[in-house]
Amino acid sequence: MFLERVPKTSNKFEKMTSDSRFVASALQPDTKPDMTKHTQLATLKFTFLSLLLTVLCSISFAQDIPADPAAISAGESLFNANCKTCHRVHQKLIGPALADVYNRAPSIDWIKSFIKNSAGLIASGDAYAVNLYNEYNKTQMTAFSGLKDEQIMQILAYVQAETIKGPPVAAAPVAAAGGSGDAGSGIPSSYLNAIVAGLVLILVLLVVILGFLVSALKRFLDQKDLSAEDKELVHSPITSNSILKSAGFSFIVIFFVVALGFKALINGLFSIGVQQGYAPKQPIAFSHQIHAGQYEIQCQYCHTGVTKGKSATIPSVNVCMNCHNQIKEGALYGTAELSKIQAAYDNNTPIQWVRIHNLPDLAYFNHAQHVNVGGIECQTCHGPIQEMEVVRQHSLLTMGWCIDCHRKTDVNSKGNAYYDKLVELHNKSSKSAMKVEDIGGLECAKCHY
Amino acid sequence: MNIVKSVIVCLGASVVLAACSAGGNNQGTEYAPNMYHSVAYEPYSQITDPGAGRWLTSIEYEDGHAEFFNSNTLNVSTMGVFMNMRTPPANTVPRNKNGWLPYRIPKDSLELAAKRLKNPVDSSAQVIAQGKVLYQTYCQHCHGAKGEGDGKVSEKYAGVANLKGDAYKNITEGHIFHVITNGKGLMWAHGSQMSAEERWMIAKYVKVLQK
Repeated sequence: MFLERVPKTSNKFEKMTSDSRFVASALQPDTKPDMTKHTQLATLKFTFLSLLLTVLCSISFAQDIPADPAAISAGESLFNANCKTCHRVHQKLIGPALADVYNRAPSIDWIKSFIKNSAGLIASGDAYAVNLYNEYNKTQMTAFSGLKDEQIMQILAYVQAETIKGPPVAAAPVAAAGGSGDAGSGIPSSYLNAIVAGLVLILVLLVVILGFLVSALKRFLDQKDLSAEDKELVHSPITSNSILKSAGFSFIVIFFVVALGFKALINGLFSIGVQQGYAPKQPIAFSHQIHAGQYEIQCQYCHTGVTKGKSATIPSVNVCMNCHNQIKEGALYGTAELSKIQAAYDNNTPIQWVRIHNLPDLAYFNHAQHVNVGGIECQTCHGPIQEMEVVRQHSLLTMGWCIDCHRKTDVNSKGNAYYDKLVELHNKSSKSAMKVEDIGGLECAKCHY
Repeated sequence: MNIVKSVIVCLGASVVLAACSAGGNNQGTEYAPNMYHSVAYEPYSQITDPGAGRWLTSIEYEDGHAEFFNSNTLNVSTMGVFMNMRTPPANTVPRNKNGWLPYRIPKDSLELAAKRLKNPVDSSAQVIAQGKVLYQTYCQHCHGAKGEGDGKVSEKYAGVANLKGDAYKNITEGHIFHVITNGKGLMWAHGSQMSAEERWMIAKYVKVLQK
C-alpha cells in the first residue's frame, strides 16, 4: 500500500485553522454583516466541521481495526505471505513503510480498494494514489483481488500492533553475543596453552624440590652409622649419570632420532610439488563457512561453470552483488570487506582472486565430467568447504590420489544409457561392480596429452 | 662421532625439506615447474609478470618474456588489468547449440514478456526433475524449498517474494523467465548464471511448486 505522504488536499483544512486571520475575524463582534464576513464565517464553520470529521474519521479508522490477538496473528501470516516482499512496517522497501498507514490514508475503504486494484484507482485519477505512484518511481503495486475485506482488516490489525510496538531495537549486539557464545562453548586455545605451561612449571618445580630432598636425606643418612647393605642402598651404583652413559640408552636415543629424522626427510621429499594445505590470503576475506555453511547457498550458485566445463569458475562481481547490493555489513568484518565488492562493481574492475588449486599443466581435469556424470559431491575432493573460514587445498591432487579414487569408485551408470553396453560387457567377465578403472580410468592419455 | 654427524645431517635435511611443503600463503616448492605452468591461455592461471621463470631456461623468446609468462598481451584492458577473457567482436551474437539467440526483451517490458513468451521446454517428468535441481541450486536459499520466500538468506535479504502468495500465483512462465533473466524489484538479474534452457526449466518447476 503506497501511502507514504499525506497529500496537500487533506492538509488544507488544518492549515486554514491555524491561520490567525480566521480566528481574529471570528472573535470580532458581528457589527457589519457584509458578504465577506459571511463567506469567512462560512469557511470557518466548514473548516471546523471538516476538521471534526477528519478527527472522527481517524478515530473511527483505528476503531474499525480489530485488536484481538487472533486477528493480529492471522494478519501476521497474511502480511508475511503477501506484503512482506515489498513492505515492512517500520522500513521503506520497494513500497512505503506501513506504520500508521491507517491514519495517513484517506480512508480504510481507500486502503481496501488500493490493495485490491491499485491500477484502477490510479487510472481513476485519485490524487492520493497518483501521488504515491509517482513518488515510488511509477512502480505498480500488484492487485491483490483475492484478499477479502476481513483479511485486509486483519493485516491492518497486525500493522497497527507493530506500529504500537515501535521499531525493533537493533539486533546486532544480540547476534554478536550469539556468535561469541559459539566460540565460548569450548575453552579458547590460548587458555589451554597457559594451563599446560603452568602444569609443566609445577611439575618441574616438584622434581627440583624432590632432588633437594633426596640429596638432603643422603647427607643426613651419611652422618649416621649404616651397615654395608644400607650404604649400598643409599649410594646406588645405578645413577642417572651411569644410565645416560650406557650403550643401551644411547642406542635408543639414536634410533628414535634417526627414525624420526628419516620420516621427516621422506615427508619433506614427498611434499615437493604438492600444495595440500595451501590457504592463501584472498583480496577479499570471503568466508565459505558463512555463505555455504550458515546460509546454505549451493556451491553452484556462484561456481556456475562446474556443470558446464573444465573450470568450476570463480563468480564475477555481479553474482556477489545479487545479494550484496542490499547486504552491506558482514558478520565478521563489518563493512570493511564488503565495500571492496561495491568498489569493484562501481569501477567495473574484476577482483583478482588468488587461485588455490593449481593442477599442473601436464594433467587434464574436467569438473563437468565428475559432477554431471560421476555425481561426485564437491566435498569429496574439496573437503568440508562449508566449514572453512579460509579455503585451503584439502586433497593432495597427486596422480596417486586420482588413481586411487579411479580404482575404488563405482561408475555412476544408473540411468545413463551411455554405459548400458559397457556394464553388460563388464558383467560378463566380472562379478564386482564396474569401477572407473574398468572403463579406462587409468589410461595415461585420459589425463595426459 | 660418525653417528652424531649423520644424525645432524639427517635432521638438517628434514628441516630444510619441511620448508618445501605448502601452507598458509606459502605455495610450497614445485617440482619441474616448467611442466606446471601452461604456455597457452588458461582460465584463472594467467601469469602477468614477463620475467617469471627466467631462471629455468636460457631460451630467448621473441618478445623478450620468460618461461612462465602467458598473459594475453592483446587484451591489456582499459581498466589496467590483464584479461584472458575477450569481449566478443562488435555486431556479433552468440547462438547456443539449439540455435537460440540471446534473450533481448528489455527489463522494463515485463508485461510484454509475460504475455508473449511461451516455454519452449516440455513438461515431462525429466524436465520437472531437472528444474527442481536447478531451483534448489539457484533459488532455494532465498525463496525457500517450497517457494514461500523463507530461505535462509531471506533472513538477511529483505523483500524476498513468496511465490505462493496471491501476487505471484497466476504469473506466466514467460514472466518467471523474464524476472530470472533481468531481475525485478529487489531481485537482481540472474541471467548470467544460467543458460536460457535452464531458466525455462526453473520456470516450469516454479509453476509446479505453485500448485
